[in-house]
Amino acid sequence: MPRVLLIEDDPSVREGVELGLRRRGHEVRAAATGEAGLAAMAEFRPDLLLLDLMLPGMNGVQVCRQVRDHSQLPIIMLTARGDDFDVVIGLEAGADDYIVKPARPEVIEARIRAVLRRIDDSGSGRPAIEVYGELTVDRVGLTVTKAGRRLALAPSELKLLLHLSGAPEQVFSRQQLLEHVWEHTFHADARLVDACVARLRGKIEDEVGSPRYVQTLRGFGYRFGPL
Amino acid sequence: MRRARTRRRAAAVAFAAVVPLLGGCGIQETDAIEAGGPASFQAFFDRNQEILLFFRSPDGGLSPVIRTPPDSSVFDGYVEGAGEENTDDTAEPIPTEKAVLALLGGPAKEDRAAGLSTSLPAALPGGSVKVELLPGGRVATLLPFFLEGLDTTALRQLTCTIAYSQDAEGQVVVELTGQDGVSRSGTCGLAPNSTGSTGNTPEETETRARPTPPATTG
Amino acid sequence: MSGGERSRVRVFGLRTRLLFAFLLVAAVSAGTTAALTYREARTAVLKTAQDTAVTSFREQVQLTGFSLPVRGEGLEDVLRDLARKSKPHPWVVFAEYGSLRASSGENPVSTVITPELRSAARANPRGAFERVVKDGVPYLTIAMPTVFKTSPDSVLPSGLVLYAVMRMTDEQITIDALLMAARDGALPGLAVALIPGLLAARSVLRPVRELRQAARSMGSGRLDTRIVVRGSDELADLARTFNESTGQLERSVRELREAEERARRFASDVSHELRTPLAGMLAVTEVLDEDADGLDADTARAVRLVSAETGKLAVLVEDLMEISRFDARAAELNADEVDVAEAIRNTLQNRHWTDDRVRTELPDGIRARLDPRRFDVVIANLVGNALKHGDAPVTVRLRTEAGAPGSPVLLITEVADSGPGLQPAVLPHIFDRFYKADAARTRSAGSGLGLAITLENVKLHGGTIHAGNRPEGGAVFAVEIPLHVEGAGG
Repeated sequence: MPRVLLIEDDPSVREGVELGLRRRGHEVRAAATGEAGLAAMAEFRPDLLLLDLMLPGMNGVQVCRQVRDHSQLPIIMLTARGDDFDVVIGLEAGADDYIVKPARPEVIEARIRAVLRRIDDSGSGRPAIEVYGELTVDRVGLTVTKAGRRLALAPSELKLLLHLSGAPEQVFSRQQLLEHVWEHTFHADARLVDACVARLRGKIEDEVGSPRYVQTLRGFGYRFGPL
Repeated sequence: MRRARTRRRAAAVAFAAVVPLLGGCGIQETDAIEAGGPASFQAFFDRNQEILLFFRSPDGGLSPVIRTPPDSSVFDGYVEGAGEENTDDTAEPIPTEKAVLALLGGPAKEDRAAGLSTSLPAALPGGSVKVELLPGGRVATLLPFFLEGLDTTALRQLTCTIAYSQDAEGQVVVELTGQDGVSRSGTCGLAPNSTGSTGNTPEETETRARPTPPATTG
Repeated sequence: MSGGERSRVRVFGLRTRLLFAFLLVAAVSAGTTAALTYREARTAVLKTAQDTAVTSFREQVQLTGFSLPVRGEGLEDVLRDLARKSKPHPWVVFAEYGSLRASSGENPVSTVITPELRSAARANPRGAFERVVKDGVPYLTIAMPTVFKTSPDSVLPSGLVLYAVMRMTDEQITIDALLMAARDGALPGLAVALIPGLLAARSVLRPVRELRQAARSMGSGRLDTRIVVRGSDELADLARTFNESTGQLERSVRELREAEERARRFASDVSHELRTPLAGMLAVTEVLDEDADGLDADTARAVRLVSAETGKLAVLVEDLMEISRFDARAAELNADEVDVAEAIRNTLQNRHWTDDRVRTELPDGIRARLDPRRFDVVIANLVGNALKHGDAPVTVRLRTEAGAPGSPVLLITEVADSGPGLQPAVLPHIFDRFYKADAARTRSAGSGLGLAITLENVKLHGGTIHAGNRPEGGAVFAVEIPLHVEGAGG
């Protein structure tokens, strides 16, 4: 069972979520502040970070950036406000997914499992390592290098790239990507896709303004290539 | 719509107000307008030498003419009462009887030339006229013909001639009595300011009450 | 300046009327003054001439002697003598006596003298005059009846009437000159009056124009519009009143807005504050549900009740939050181009409405720019509502309809049920918040905000929603959203 680090300032939420997840067999460490959470990270070595955005002192977005500086730990934001602005900021800071409070433990767990799930490529019959231009994608080792240099991709970024490059030049609508990469329902927030694409482009493209690898088809969605 | 009508009405009112003020341009005709009194000219009338006779003007009015009796003795025989007093050299006015007889003599040639005529019957030869002064400025005159049948002009001719003969201003009441006993009385009223009225009609009253004996004839 | 339509000079506009009034007043006063002056001057000119003529004629006659009866011979000499002394202008003297007619001129009888003048002179021995215009030439005709003295104090009409006929050509020239002067004075007066008229009209119209602009500005929502008050006339009063009224209006509107804003923020804050404890509660409902089986019966019922109501409360708070965002205009449309039929099928599938309770008529190939999440809410709410309050089967029908030329094609989604339909009294309130169609039903499974949220979502798409009954029975909700198909929409 995955180890979950929960950073949440409100005691009842913290306690409730911790209780709910632990009942489902997760090992949960809860922290009340961003500083305490970051401090616990080295020692607890979590598989996933559940991060409240509204924190006293160091806020969730700052914690998120700091984690991303040295780690590709999967991060799911907890947001109390449905405020779109927060969601966008959090996603840009590197979060892989978000959950709007209040949420039942099964919803939280489903999201955790989705983020942690590896893309099952076994049936594709593809070679493990493919080269697209300067990009080298290792589907088994789950590493991506560009011009020989390894790229640090967050889980959602990696899964998106693997999904898109698994069928080059095929157009995926954002709804499809949400369903396959994020395992969301068809109608979930398409900005998850857009934010993730933007982050991915920042890492793999030479020029973000005119992307080669992840291209936009206005009105339809995204596709990988053609190069 | 309504406003336009109001404006039209206002314009019409303004127009109607301005136009009569201008009153037409140039010189307009007028009615006959009275302007002062009559012109009084010099007629050189001398009561002592001349008499005023009133004849009928073509327009129906009376016109006075000045007559110098050519010879007062012509009528002397018929004059009674005042005859002796009348001499050429005295300042006495010419007797009324003479004036009446001159009137009855009809318009002279120059009178007729001016279109004057008389409504009186021609003087009967030998007819006499009797004039009697009554108290209260009244003059009674007995005439040698019938009054019945005479028209108003004729009566006025007589009345005015007698009145102006008796009085320089003609302010006497004249009583006329004819041979038929018919009697009329009145004043002349020709002078502009003699009576309030501007009419030329003498006041007349008719008295037939007393039967007058037939005038004595000579 | 305003548009061409308005700036066009109006034929019977205020400006025209003001100008007209000014000109009218100026015309009346100038005309009246000119006319009165003219009349007075004309009267004076004529009176002088007439009086001079009448007086001098009388004087001349009085210096003349006539015999009575007047004799025809020598009369013309006397008349010519009188004519020589004419004043102020040459006149012709006529004499009438009995049937005698004589004159100083060629004709013994004048054609100018009127019967009225004759009869006036005959009827009344007084002098008289009459102005006559004959063939365009004005004449002054004077009738002078004559009297003579019978005594120093008494006069007697002689029957002789003398007439003088005098041309008034000089007077006519003078009077024509007067008329010219009056006209030349009045017309420039009118022209000069036009300038203050224009200025006054402008000064009146400028505040009116400002007022109009200010009123329009107010109408477009700028309640802080004020007018600069100039002077102290009625228009300034009007401007001041306008400013006071707009001030009060602005205050009232601001108070209303503030009250509304407070109420809205309160609802938002309340639901927001409810979320955090709910988040904690909702996280542990599972624990309660799982462990309830091990408790004694009453405690288990109580625990399950708390758990179930916590879930409903969470839905209610979620809907309240959503409505609050609409009220605060914070709701955003995250539009994406989607296959509408696919979107609806997904909605039904996610809600497990895949059995024969819900029938669909969804033609393929209709793509529209929609917010998938909001459209999902719309369809889910309508279908859920139909299943809850109407009877199965519920039909979801999708079609497009070309509107009037120039207006966009409409995407029409109809959700019809097979129930008894909606009461007419219910229809106007069907989209109201917390409106319960059935007063007896105290609480439904929904929050009571479902249709209100649906309406807001449709409006956010620029669309409309109608509720009604089908002729064959059953309620129908029709959502019409303008279909924006963009060639390269993002």
